[in-house]
Amino acid sequence: MSKEHSQKPKEIDQYTASVLQNGISRRSFLTRAAVGSGGLAFASFGIASASAAPLQVGTEYGEIGGATLNFLPKPKPIADKDIATTQTFDVVVVGAGASGVPAALSARESGATVACLQKQAIPVSQGNTGSGIDLKNSDKSAIEALVSRLMADNAHRSHPGLLKQWAYNSGEAVTWVIDRVKQGGGQIVDQGTKVQHGIRGIADTDDRLSFITSFCGPKPYTTGDAIRALAKTAEKAGVKFFFNTPAQQLIQDESGKVIGVIAQTRDGKYHKYMAKKGVILSSGDYQNNQAMCDFFIPELKNFERKQMDRTGDGFAMAYWAGGVIEPVGHTKMLHDFDAGPASMCDMPFLAVNRKGERFVNEKVEMSLMNNYLKDEQNAGHYSQVFDSDYMTQAKDWPGHLYSPEELKIYMPEAPGEKKGVFPSLINTHSANTLEELAVKLECDPKTFVASINRYNELCKKGKDEDFGKPKSKMAPVLKPPFYGIHRRMRISTICSGILVNDNHQVLDADGKEIPGLFIVGNLGAGFYGGVDYPLTVFGLSLGRCYTFGYLAGKYVAKL
Amino acid sequence: MKNLTIILAIILGIFAGSAFAKESNLLDQTHMAKGLKCASCHGVEERQAVPMLKCVQCHNTKKLAEKTADVKPTNPHKNRHFDTETDCSKCHHVHKKSENYCVSCHQPFNFVTP
Repeated sequence: MSKEHSQKPKEIDQYTASVLQNGISRRSFLTRAAVGSGGLAFASFGIASASAAPLQVGTEYGEIGGATLNFLPKPKPIADKDIATTQTFDVVVVGAGASGVPAALSARESGATVACLQKQAIPVSQGNTGSGIDLKNSDKSAIEALVSRLMADNAHRSHPGLLKQWAYNSGEAVTWVIDRVKQGGGQIVDQGTKVQHGIRGIADTDDRLSFITSFCGPKPYTTGDAIRALAKTAEKAGVKFFFNTPAQQLIQDESGKVIGVIAQTRDGKYHKYMAKKGVILSSGDYQNNQAMCDFFIPELKNFERKQMDRTGDGFAMAYWAGGVIEPVGHTKMLHDFDAGPASMCDMPFLAVNRKGERFVNEKVEMSLMNNYLKDEQNAGHYSQVFDSDYMTQAKDWPGHLYSPEELKIYMPEAPGEKKGVFPSLINTHSANTLEELAVKLECDPKTFVASINRYNELCKKGKDEDFGKPKSKMAPVLKPPFYGIHRRMRISTICSGILVNDNHQVLDADGKEIPGLFIVGNLGAGFYGGVDYPLTVFGLSLGRCYTFGYLAGKYVAKL
Repeated sequence: MKNLTIILAIILGIFAGSAFAKESNLLDQTHMAKGLKCASCHGVEERQAVPMLKCVQCHNTKKLAEKTADVKPTNPHKNRHFDTETDCSKCHHVHKKSENYCVSCHQPFNFVTP
């Protein structure tokens, strides 16, 4: 899309080459299965070819190295007589979320006729913040420094071209989303750069780096509500929404071009939605598909899921159309902005696990904390603990402090109305004794007190001999009342997906574009790659969804 | 005569309700008491899984949500995830004890699920 970063044909960048080589596609399954089974197997079964032959008719599931992947069911043939209705549009979007609704609206505004199919009864999205870069008020060197930092956050495994595409187009896209959400009656504001606590120090001090930070809130209002408002704008503009209508499979012509979608309504009937220009899949992640999780990211076993119905439907559809899934070791997103203030989540207060033991150098950000809490007992739970001197001790720590009075909205036991939070998810406590606080934080009091005594000893010594935290962050827990924020790291999303180019068009195992098939949102590959989603830019995830939806919608409409 | 029928129905209803409550409070009993047969939900030929479509043929989700609008701490039948269209079977089971699906994430939502 952005000419500056577009690829020339045949020149495959490093990221794409790596995913083609290591990712999972129908062809790689066959090739690896054949190589892995060796000469003996060929002899005994008479299968002597390692070439990319099409899968046998009757194969029901994807296979790799002899393993059957039952999370990739092959589309079953659906006869034309079983199709109740057929409708034709220019663009068909699958999934009405934070990338799908913008994609649908942007395609419509570019003149296309658009259908948007949604599994649920309503558009669904999560979170509050979606960010973009304010290009006018940023220096290019600062933007590139940020891209470089995001590459590092992503363990250098993402596609730099996609990060740059977000960087240079997100300001426009987020501004557009703010305007269109407002048109639909939604609650959305631009919080600008001041809320971006995590970007300090990335750009040179004489470089400008500014943000357009859209915020849908305060809670319990979320981006879900805002996306529903955006859908109203889209509906008014002429996008046709089909709710309770999960897509089942893609329709391809003989050349492999994707020409439509078959979806099923609640009455069990099948419907065809033909797409003259293209199908945009924006059906999200697969956290509720256990087999997929066990295969791609088995370390998620003990964590609670925040979402429902995220069964990775788009993965199976894109796979059978020839798409390539990013290699195993997918990126996860786990955090808790509800138990206590979000702006205190990365403050390195003493942290204890569910047993009450200190377990980490607390400089580890909340976005990574889950890596220390994967076992069945901890299952993502930990508590930040501090004493009544925290307002002075932590005043220069990263983030923004809430005063004891302000903290009360996060305390289920404190009287008063709980405004700006989810009352059912708040989990901050105070107590006059450590034992009492331990009980409220659901820790073993004995272990908890012993951990705090040990920590206080190290603070006094000025040397963290247990975890190496710097002296300046060793704030002892001595003076009542004591405070604790019990955070639960649950899965917000998994953000690895299907290989696309910078037009968000799906590539096959040869690196060739699959005509008619596009992907945006968390179903798309290449934007992350680290162990965890980074919280360097607050709202990067939604910002990316808005931006790529906006760009892909426009692009497909103009085909 | 009409009034008598209603009174009779109410009395029978109470009897039926208490009789079943003693033995079992599973929803298959409740459905049977209303005259439903296995095939009403599971189909006549091969026994089929029951999609939500079957439930909504008798239960109007919008009306149900209005009926439970004042349930504390929140209305289980109209929520931020699915609006009024949460799949009934997430909470209500027919042949086994129902569950409170909300509570695993929202601990204060202490619903008793029939």
